[in-house]
Amino acid sequence: MDELELLKQHWQQEKQDLPKLSYKDIQQMIWKKSTSVVRWILIISLIELVLPHLIYLLPSAQSGFDIYTQLGISNWLFGFNAIYYLVALYFIYLFYKRYKEISVLDDSQKLMNNILKTRKTVKYYVIFSLSAALIVVLLVMGGIYTTPNLMELFPRDLEADGLTLVQYKQVLLLAVGIGGFAILSLMGIIYFLLYGFLIRKLRRNHQELRRIEV
Amino acid sequence: MNKELEHQFVSELESNQNIVHKVCSLYTNDAHSHNDLFQEISIQLWKAYPKFRGESKFSTWMYRVALNTAITLYRKSKKRVRTQEYDSVLFKIKADQYDDTQEQQLKLMYGAIKQLNDIDKALVFLYLENKDYAEISGTLGISEVNARVKMNRIKNKLRTILNP
Repeated sequence: MDELELLKQHWQQEKQDLPKLSYKDIQQMIWKKSTSVVRWILIISLIELVLPHLIYLLPSAQSGFDIYTQLGISNWLFGFNAIYYLVALYFIYLFYKRYKEISVLDDSQKLMNNILKTRKTVKYYVIFSLSAALIVVLLVMGGIYTTPNLMELFPRDLEADGLTLVQYKQVLLLAVGIGGFAILSLMGIIYFLLYGFLIRKLRRNHQELRRIEV
Repeated sequence: MNKELEHQFVSELESNQNIVHKVCSLYTNDAHSHNDLFQEISIQLWKAYPKFRGESKFSTWMYRVALNTAITLYRKSKKRVRTQEYDSVLFKIKADQYDDTQEQQLKLMYGAIKQLNDIDKALVFLYLENKDYAEISGTLGISEVNARVKMNRIKNKLRTILNP
């Protein structure tokens, strides 16, 4: 293609209209904070890794533990938590390992693969966290369903509401179920929006690079 | 990190800054984004510099980091000008000033390259820098055959843009 060859001839010798930075400019630049996507992925991932654990620090969540005991599901929850933290720790280790593998000195394809792999680790972790929260909601629902002393736990004047005990139980179950599901969906949506937004360009370029491959 | 290393790095980058500027002007459309990307590439180069052992020329080593930053790591800041509006304005002004045919041809070609996607730009950039297909494939992480096929397709794309 003639025009491209023409440009190529001029490309290197040609005095293009390029800016010229001084030694001082460059020296100041290299100590600025990076705004790269990897840095953002690190920050957001760390927030996502830590966030589920912060819920336990809320006062209302702590008083919730008494209810779990009275619902008779505290043993279940204890075992569940032990497994949960083991898996969570494993995820954090995996994330750290993957993050360390990201190097700007790799070829573009490998760099992109490593970034996407790191991000995928967090994705699986979030899916795992959300499923774990869902199991807790189900456990609480199970507890409400089987507990004999419902009225002591959630006192309410049923006669004034015109409800029978069975109806009251159904209302409670429904409320916990819908509430839990709504919160989890919201968290999921926020997470996936953030995730998609952050690496949209990266994903597009990754696909473009692989187009003729295979 | 020690002062001597910093001095060495900044001097090297200062004398080779044209390469980075060429990448920036290919991937951005206004002065603000240009500087933004230049800064990000400089930061990435500096972070990776301790691993540069002088096996290759400094400039050769820069290509990979600069392109990786442009097509993978860099996120455009919000204050960007709409690509096409800016481009057409810029090229109209310059085309009016130079009525020399060859000069105009070059401008048109450059304008067409700027319309390509990020990956195609990277290939064209390395091609214009007179890199062979082995080096292009090594930098981008695709096979040499693939690089050739892509380059042919890009030439077709450019032809279509220039003669719609």
